[in-house]
Amino acid sequence: MDTSVEMMSDSKLKAQKVNVFYAEKQALFDVSLGIDEKSVTSFIGPSGCGKSTFLRCFNRMNDVIPSCRVQGQILLDDVDLNSPKIDPVLLRARVGMVFQKPNPFPKTVYENVAYGPRIHGLAANRQEMDFIVEDSLKKAGLWKEVSDRLNDQATGLSGGQQQRLCIARAIAIGPDILLMDEPCSALDPIATSIIEELISDLQSRFTILIVTHSMQQAARVSQKTAYFHLGQLIEYGDTKGIFTRPQNEQTEAYISGKIG
Amino acid sequence: MTFLTSNVALLILTIIFGFVAYTLAHQRIRSHVARDGVKAHSLVKYYGVYAALWTLVPASVLALVWAFAADPLLINAAEARLRLAYPSLPPSFLELKAAQLQNIAAGFIDAPDEIMAAEAAALKESMNRVDLARVLTLLTVMMIGFLFAFLRITPQLKARVAFEGFLRRSFFAAAVLAILTTIGIISSLLFEAYRFFSEISMIDFFFGTHWSPMVSLREGTETAADEAVAGSSGSFGMVPVMLGTLLVALIAMLVAVPVGLFSAIYTADFAPRKVRNVIKPALEVLAGIPTVVYGYFAALTAAPFFRDAGMLVGLDVSSQSALAAGGVMGIMIIPFISSLSDDVISAVPQSLRDGALGLGSTRAETMLRVVLPSAFPGLVGAFLLAFSRAVGETMIVVMAAGVAANLTINPLESVTTVTVQIVMLLTGDNEFDSVKTLSAFALGITLFVVTLVLNIAALHVSRKLGQRYE
Repeated sequence: MDTSVEMMSDSKLKAQKVNVFYAEKQALFDVSLGIDEKSVTSFIGPSGCGKSTFLRCFNRMNDVIPSCRVQGQILLDDVDLNSPKIDPVLLRARVGMVFQKPNPFPKTVYENVAYGPRIHGLAANRQEMDFIVEDSLKKAGLWKEVSDRLNDQATGLSGGQQQRLCIARAIAIGPDILLMDEPCSALDPIATSIIEELISDLQSRFTILIVTHSMQQAARVSQKTAYFHLGQLIEYGDTKGIFTRPQNEQTEAYISGKIG
Repeated sequence: MTFLTSNVALLILTIIFGFVAYTLAHQRIRSHVARDGVKAHSLVKYYGVYAALWTLVPASVLALVWAFAADPLLINAAEARLRLAYPSLPPSFLELKAAQLQNIAAGFIDAPDEIMAAEAAALKESMNRVDLARVLTLLTVMMIGFLFAFLRITPQLKARVAFEGFLRRSFFAAAVLAILTTIGIISSLLFEAYRFFSEISMIDFFFGTHWSPMVSLREGTETAADEAVAGSSGSFGMVPVMLGTLLVALIAMLVAVPVGLFSAIYTADFAPRKVRNVIKPALEVLAGIPTVVYGYFAALTAAPFFRDAGMLVGLDVSSQSALAAGGVMGIMIIPFISSLSDDVISAVPQSLRDGALGLGSTRAETMLRVVLPSAFPGLVGAFLLAFSRAVGETMIVVMAAGVAANLTINPLESVTTVTVQIVMLLTGDNEFDSVKTLSAFALGITLFVVTLVLNIAALHVSRKLGQRYE
């Protein structure tokens, strides 16, 4: 744990002694770690270990759940996200999120991407909006497939396309950070590999945090990996190190498939 | 033995028979299993149930048929004898006499003359004989049913399968019964409406703009021909009545949709759990108020209020204004709309809300730009259902809306509705087969078609909601 605190000084995001409670039940215990800018960090661990809960601390999506309480500090560029001065609405414009199940709005492809820029007033006219939509779809690797059907219902796209649309929708508002909560768990292997390639492409522009059930995926896409178990951060370090020389026996047991 | 005591005795006997059949079958299967050393196909209790059902069900069905068939047959026979005894009486009086006869036979009233006394005695005598026959027949059927089942009970008998089949058929019978009842009601409506339309042309009825069935009677002698003439001159034109109905329902929707929808939005997405737990039951209390209470609220409070308020600003508001009836009806359907809308809004997946919130939408933006557009088809469906309810609502308009069929869309004037007219036409001392009365059935079938179309449209629109969430 000492190593992670040392690494923190120049981190983009820092979590310090984060505790999360659902009503009386504690879901996270004193989690502290630092996350590097423009890199991919993956959170792994068995179901119910708190990795998704932790991810949702970074854009305060836990606020949406009435019984949920978050203690401790989450620092983005050294500003505490949980301070009353932070408006979660503005925060979420800086920290985009992609969810487990593709959740395009029941609107057209164009309107899905334009939704964020529109509510944040990012485009002054139709040309600017067109540019943002095209640019976001290109960054999400979806432009070629949907450029001729921007006015079709987004729900008519395939699952993988829908998920990339959700990524395009998230990056359309120009966030620094992207949170991905098991973005491939509802997708087939081909769509998954497309998304994984996309994540590697996006890494040069965004700081990406990804929760995943697939250890191969964590190994393929991330530079750093954090292993959670029963609400505790067990081990955190370079992905390569975690997967080849895990320091903790629990981590080793999980990675080698003995528990999970 | 009177009818009542024989029936009670029969019922008790039937229950005892059922238990006995169950127990005997139970014992038989047990002894079989013990003797042959084989395993029974089903649990032993199924053999008991099997025997009990064979004992009770055929007899019950027969008893039901008998109850419907036997007495009418006897009474018909008595009526035929009365026709011989009183050759001069018209048929409708004979029916009355026959009804009287039953009451005399049952001992409720005294016989007016000797013929009736004798006939009543004969009827009573034959009823008693038939009753005895019925009891004996039923007991026999029970015995036969029991023996049939009892003798078939062996470990190989698939009693559980038979019981499953019985249950499946019972469920099916219940479903068929519900449908048959509906068909029966509709066909009786259709039949009476057909009689009406054989007197009044459909064009006059559906497109006529003058509705005054009562007036047409007062104008002359009460013959069908006169009514037909009066009718064809425009007295049975339903346009003002339907227009009044739609006006009142529309006013109701104007009150109920904003309030109901907004409160649904609040309870579904904004209210803290504690507030929601208070508001939802409170709205359901509103739904539990009998419509007649709303009716006198409309007639005694709302209508005078609107009239006085109108006077203050120099408007002439009728004391039975469409506004008062429609407004109160709107209050009545608020819980209907809010509860349906709440369901529809809650059915929008949380993932869509998360998606919108995750992009930095405020809660209101999430509601207005994502949740409501997603829920739109379901909401339209809910509104159509509410509208169809408003169209069919009766009690409030009977008490608060007018009777005169004014052709107007001015909410301050008095209008009448289809339901009010049906009530007016079918209550009071009216001859049942006059054109006037028959027109109630024509109105009824029209109302039925209107609400049916609204309900089908509501279902059709709502079904699209499911498709959108795949």
